[in-house]
Amino acid sequence: MTAATTVVGSWRTASARAWSGAVPPTVLLSFAVLLVVLLWSLLPGVFATQDPVNGVPADKLLGPSAAHWFGTDHLGRDLFARVVHGTASSVTSALVAVTIGVVVGGAIGLVAGSAGGWTDVVLARVVDVLLAIPSFLLAVVIVSSLGFETVNAAIATGVSAVAVFARVMRAEVIKTRRAVFVEASVLQGGSRAHVLLRHVLPNASRSLLALAVLQFGLSILVIAGLAFLGYGDPPPASDWGLLVSSGKDYPTAPWLVYAPALVVVATVLSVNRISRWLRRTA
Amino acid sequence: MNASYLRFAGRRLLQAVVVVLLAYVFTFVVISVLPGDPVTNTLRNPENGFTEEEIARIVAYYGLDQPVVVQLWQSLSHFVVGDLGVSLRSNLPVTRLVAEVVPSTLALAASALAVALVLAFAVAYGTQNLPRRYGQGVLRALPSLFLSVPAFVVGLLLIQVFAFQLGLFRVIEPDGAWATFFAAVALGIPVSAQVAEVLITGLDHESRQEYAAVARSRGLGQARLFAKHLLKPSSLPVVTVVALTVGELLGGALIIETIFGRTGVGSLVQRSVSTQDLPVLQAVVSLAAVVFVVVNLLADLVYPLLDPRVRLDRAPRKAAGQPGPEQPTPEQPILERQVSVP
Amino acid sequence: MSTTSSGRPPGRTGRTRRAVQAAVAALATVTLTAACAAGGPAEAGGGSGEPREGGDIVFLIDSLGDTWIPNNSSISSFQGHVWGHVTDKLVYVDAEGEVSPWVAESWEQNDDATQFTLHLKDGVTFSDGSPLDAAAVVENLDTWAFGAPDAGISPVGLFPKTYDRAEAVDESTVEVYFDAPTLGFVPTLGYHGSILVSPETLALPAEEQADLSNDIGSGPFVVESWKEGDSVVLTKREDYDWGPEAVGHTGPAYLDTITYKLVAESSTRTGAVQSGQADVAYNATPQELDSFKEQGFSVDVPRYLGFVNGYRLNTRVAPFDDTLVRQAFQHGIDRDEILSTVYTEDWSAAEGLIQSNVPEATDHSDSFAYDPELAASLLDEAGWTEGADGVRTKDGEPLELTLYPNPYLATSKAIDELVAQQLGELGFAVDIQAYDVVTFGERVSDNTSLSNYEVTRSFIDVGTVASILTDAENGEDWFGLGQSDERTNELRDAVAQATDLDERAKAVDELQEHLLEEAYFAPVTQIVQRIYVSNPELHDVTYNGVAYASYYTAWLED
Repeated sequence: MTAATTVVGSWRTASARAWSGAVPPTVLLSFAVLLVVLLWSLLPGVFATQDPVNGVPADKLLGPSAAHWFGTDHLGRDLFARVVHGTASSVTSALVAVTIGVVVGGAIGLVAGSAGGWTDVVLARVVDVLLAIPSFLLAVVIVSSLGFETVNAAIATGVSAVAVFARVMRAEVIKTRRAVFVEASVLQGGSRAHVLLRHVLPNASRSLLALAVLQFGLSILVIAGLAFLGYGDPPPASDWGLLVSSGKDYPTAPWLVYAPALVVVATVLSVNRISRWLRRTA
Repeated sequence: MNASYLRFAGRRLLQAVVVVLLAYVFTFVVISVLPGDPVTNTLRNPENGFTEEEIARIVAYYGLDQPVVVQLWQSLSHFVVGDLGVSLRSNLPVTRLVAEVVPSTLALAASALAVALVLAFAVAYGTQNLPRRYGQGVLRALPSLFLSVPAFVVGLLLIQVFAFQLGLFRVIEPDGAWATFFAAVALGIPVSAQVAEVLITGLDHESRQEYAAVARSRGLGQARLFAKHLLKPSSLPVVTVVALTVGELLGGALIIETIFGRTGVGSLVQRSVSTQDLPVLQAVVSLAAVVFVVVNLLADLVYPLLDPRVRLDRAPRKAAGQPGPEQPTPEQPILERQVSVP
Repeated sequence: MSTTSSGRPPGRTGRTRRAVQAAVAALATVTLTAACAAGGPAEAGGGSGEPREGGDIVFLIDSLGDTWIPNNSSISSFQGHVWGHVTDKLVYVDAEGEVSPWVAESWEQNDDATQFTLHLKDGVTFSDGSPLDAAAVVENLDTWAFGAPDAGISPVGLFPKTYDRAEAVDESTVEVYFDAPTLGFVPTLGYHGSILVSPETLALPAEEQADLSNDIGSGPFVVESWKEGDSVVLTKREDYDWGPEAVGHTGPAYLDTITYKLVAESSTRTGAVQSGQADVAYNATPQELDSFKEQGFSVDVPRYLGFVNGYRLNTRVAPFDDTLVRQAFQHGIDRDEILSTVYTEDWSAAEGLIQSNVPEATDHSDSFAYDPELAASLLDEAGWTEGADGVRTKDGEPLELTLYPNPYLATSKAIDELVAQQLGELGFAVDIQAYDVVTFGERVSDNTSLSNYEVTRSFIDVGTVASILTDAENGEDWFGLGQSDERTNELRDAVAQATDLDERAKAVDELQEHLLEEAYFAPVTQIVQRIYVSNPELHDVTYNGVAYASYYTAWLED
């Protein structure tokens, strides 16, 4: 969420063209969806007044209705309230994952790209290994080692994204280093660190941010997938993935799966749409 | 086959071997990073009432009493000569366990790839040939949608409808044709999105080229133009994308196999993960790395032969025909990796 | 079967009993296998007449466990199903804990229960043709007791540690010696850990024993094929002729084959049975059961012999170092709400420390009945006063505790969530920390610094109770007492060293009274860890003392 808005900011200055033309309606809609998600995660109580943790056991497994938009779960808790209250944690986990990817991957790429030589060769092999292991498999192995909790699932998802960010960063650094103005800066006696900070980083961060937005949506899905396999948090947490995962045991109450799944799809779709639009207008 | 090609091939081969070995070590390190092992764990359950001495002897049988470095060295030296060890969970040779499950996953992955390609080409064809006002916009949005739907939701839905309501396949025979097909659909959908995006971008790019305009002016129909001229150059980058998604098919199999009750590499990982069965996890991870490396190696080696414009001395992967805005090159791997989701 | 209560010894009273009777009446109309409840002779359920020969069934199971080394896997909740058909046991223990002959035709013991003589049935053979004689039994006894740790084979967890040795007196007589009185020995022979396998199998190295095809038993079925983590196919043994008389059938099985197929998703298992693609689904979600019954499927929820589902409270860890808080915890749990929310009417509330189908069970439900007012006043008395946020505090410390749902019981998370809600109303601040099986094993099972532990534990002989009370003789010390509670020590010895069953039953009753009064244990419900949803055309399934379904007596309607 935050990542998405930041990206918009930076792209706005970077590319006036993006705003000169009309913003497609689907993109506007995507922003609206993300706004709702942001508000849900910041002020869940305003949007869902019912208690997400303590339910009314007698009202268990009710279908969607005016009183319960998404129905109730096996303990009589309002599912809509649980979805809304689970937003913050779902969004945060995805952000944690993206942050790990960006920071660690970015650092590896930056060092590899700017140092060159043997450092580059060694780091490139490390990145190759991370790339060669399917990212979901990697996430599962890591989460199994760390313990099955959402935080760990977020970390695992982040680590599995490191390679992608490292590759993009390295490529960007090399590209920028070769750029005329950077070479000029070096010729004028600018220190290596100075050149990195002043020129390479700001230029590289643009494509990194576009990737981060995409990775954010992806992370939501990966973490939901891990939760689905049972590598999630303890109750009464109500992360979206956990809701789907615990809902699947009640086939007579299909809304327990499809309502939170719909929220996941809407969110990820919006993120993807925005990321696409950003790339197009770049 | 000139010398530069051979040099290029040799270098890539060496890199591949290094990557696979590193993947093996990497898994060991990740799993061993925390203290404790599954064997001691199970035995220590106070319900068993085993004595410390009994526990120590059993742990010694598995070699888990050795320092971690020694364990790593032993497992690595066995791995190099092709001995994958014995599963801590099932006590069966890892080779046997893996060999039992590979065919099923291979069938699933191949079907999923086929589904993904058919779907992607169909969508891409539609974007070029449907009238703009009907459906084209929807078709162009499809890849995004495919990327946003969790595979487990698709899987649960397909089983509910096609297995239980329509009775098209039996869940207890998950390797049957229909069962494999629907599992492949669930697994293939995200992959198809990736392929479709690359394809659509390529097609858009090609159809703006002069030769396309010329062909149109000569009265060539859109469908024939698509088939005869646009498709081939646009399909080249698909080779790269497919090579890169092979690993993701395996990752996605983890969830799909669980849902569809298939016994494959994914479900083996599931069982091994829940018991921290290190030898099996190491074997599967390095197998995945081998597959990924080999497929990409093949793609790299084949590419220069397919497209003579590619120069080998510099970026070997930078093979994608014309430099379109979203073609997968090392510099722009955004698309390559965006579908790592199950 | 299903019905939790039909096997209950007569004469017990209580409101749960009436509730269950009503439930039984309601169930009788939909459940066709009602006769097996008592675990006694299997009658044709639903009045459908004579068993039919032939037929194949598919049993969907959520896991096939880990290794197949008999010693290491026999007590697994999953593999126990397969072992129960492939192997026999020396004695049979039914759902009421009654012990009857099987491979052992009869037995005697000396007065102080340290020496037992087993007389074996003649003509029993393993499926490879070798005889199941006294020598084979001695080898099995030694293996259960000692395992082969250096070869990676552990002893069988619950086998009496007092075992000294066994001798084959002649071909069909075994003499067994113990270091101390072991009244529980004979019942233990009917436990799922005590499976008889051929001495040739026992001589194999671990890696080969782990291949199920190499594990030879004497049971009514043999392994036709198996695939790790996928399925096990059993076919019947035509020459089988030594079934336990207690199940009313001793010849070959009626069914031709049983296929155990692993399907991890609960909804897929039940969906497959509903759509006629399989015959039995194991471990369905309890709340879904009513809808299966309405559709005419058989739903069986047999209880095992063992401890009830409940919390053992650690007297060494705050806040349970205070008797008043423990009692408040006991009285603060609304068992009826748990039963009606998480379960169906087939479940019943706990009446004490042990399940009410254990022969020694007595009703102590009054001593821990739900009484929120009493609970609140106990907390007041203990000095915990309610703060503004509803959480009680004492000396600035909040009344906090964490529950750890037991991963071996699917409903555990939901129960803990409800308990957290109920205790929250009393002013407890309850946290829930759920782990998967491995992490639970690492962080909870063996951890003496946690304030509570949720018990899900079967046993076949009530003597097991003595081994969990204190830390004497490698005891499990469930309540963190060490040897500090004189009365507990005294009753432990009375149970452990008893040489007479009546005397022991009396000691168990007093022990339960003491433990519950001190609130060392907070019972919740009678536990059902194995739930079966099956095709209504499958009749006469038998459930033994540990609630495993046996299809030896079962048959399929045309």
